[in-house]
Amino acid sequence: MTNKIKRGVAIYSYSGEYGRSMNLEDCFKDMYDMGATGIEILANSHIDSYPELSDDYLAEWNRLCQKYNIEPAEYGHWIDTRLYKDRDMSLEEAREKLINDFKIANKLGFKILRTKMGVINGELAPVENWREIIKSVLPEAEKYDVIMCPEIHLTTVLADQFVQDYVDFIEETGTKNFGLNIDLSVFQNRFDVPGVVVFNPDSKHSLPEEIIPLLPYVKCIHAKFNKMDDDFNELTIPYPEVLEILKEHGWEGYLLSEYEGEKKDVAGFVSQELRKHHVMMKRILGH
Amino acid sequence: MLESQVIQYRGFHNIVEDGEVVGFQVCVRSDYYRGVWLSQLRPGKLIVDGVTYAKEQVIWEINGKDYTVDELAQASNDFWRITDVATLKVMQKGGLAQGFHDVSVRFAASCSYMPPFLDIFDENGDENSFNGGTYTREKMIIV
Repeated sequence: MTNKIKRGVAIYSYSGEYGRSMNLEDCFKDMYDMGATGIEILANSHIDSYPELSDDYLAEWNRLCQKYNIEPAEYGHWIDTRLYKDRDMSLEEAREKLINDFKIANKLGFKILRTKMGVINGELAPVENWREIIKSVLPEAEKYDVIMCPEIHLTTVLADQFVQDYVDFIEETGTKNFGLNIDLSVFQNRFDVPGVVVFNPDSKHSLPEEIIPLLPYVKCIHAKFNKMDDDFNELTIPYPEVLEILKEHGWEGYLLSEYEGEKKDVAGFVSQELRKHHVMMKRILGH
Repeated sequence: MLESQVIQYRGFHNIVEDGEVVGFQVCVRSDYYRGVWLSQLRPGKLIVDGVTYAKEQVIWEINGKDYTVDELAQASNDFWRITDVATLKVMQKGGLAQGFHDVSVRFAASCSYMPPFLDIFDENGDENSFNGGTYTREKMIIV
C-alpha cells in the first residue's frame, strides 16, 4: 500500500554545504538513507546550467532520480520583482522568466512549483499586481502542466487576508494551475529554544486546526524544522498535532523537510538533523 | 567545489598582459543560497591592505564575461550561479607586491521575498545586512 502522505527533502536544507562539501549526488545519497522519495530543488541554486537546462544536467538528473528511487516533488523558483535597483521588474519580464521556469520544470518532471513572489511588507503580502502576473501565465502553466504555489511562511499567519485572496483567486478563476505551499513555520510557537535561529521573536503563529479549510488547495508542505532533540521531537513546531490533522483529513502530498536551524555549514550536521526529522515523521505517520 | 570562505585563495594573483603586470584579481563565491540575476547584485567597495578601491574601479568577471558595475545593473538576463566564482579585477600598474595581503570585498543581492525594510544595503558602508555585507580574508598571498 502506498502512503498518501509522502516524505521528501527540500535540498535548500544543505545550503551551508552545497557546492563546497556536497554536490547534487550527495544530496540524493543522503535522502536515500532516510527513505525519502521526493526532492525539492531550487532552480536558481541546484541547476548548474540555469537559466538554461543543459542536456548534461537533464541526463544526470534522470540518472540520479532512477538510481536513488527519488521523484521530483517541487521546483522552487522566484519572481524577483526587485530585479533592478531603480525599478521593479515589468510584467513582460516576469512572464518571460516564469515561462522559462515552466519549461525547465516540465522537462525535469516537476508538476508542483514553489513560486516565490516579491513582497511589500512585514507580513509578506505579495506585490500588488500578483494577480495580473499569475493570470498572464496561466495558459502556459496549463500547457507545461505545472501548478504555481506561493509559499505561506512565517511571519505570515494563515488568517492573513492575502492567504484568503489566494484561495479566492483559485475559486474565481477555476484554475488548476495555482495552489498553496504551506510552510510549517506558520505554526512555530517557540522562539526561545537554544540553537534556534530567530529573525523575529514576536512573530505570531497559527493554530494547527486553521489549516483544515485550506487543505483542498495545499499541493505541497514545507516541513520546516528548527531543532530536533535526541528523542526525535521537534522543539518549536507542534508536529504531532499538525500531522495528525493531515492524516485525519486524508491529505495527499509531500512533506518536504526543510532545516532552518544553526550549524548549516558544519559538515554532516544537517544530514544528521534530517535523519532525526525523518524518524519523527515516520513515527507520527505510521510509515 | 569552492572554498567555504567567500573570498577564495584560489584565483588570487596579479594580471599579466604582454609580459607586464597591469593589475590584480581576487575570486569570490556568493554568500547567498541561490544564484542571482546580475542586476540583483549590489556591488560595493574592495579594500586591500587598507587601500579602498571604489566599486567603479572594479571589473566583475562572471561566466567569462567582464562587467562594470553599471553594466551589472542592467544585466537582468545574465546569471551568477552559487557554484561559480566571480572574478574581481582591478587594473593597477604593478599589481600587488609579493607576500601577504588582507582583502575585503563588499556586496549583496536584492531579495524580493523579504520585507522591503530588510532588503536594504549601503554599498559604501560597513554594516552587514540580511543579504550581504563585507567579507574579509587575511594573509592572502601573492607569489
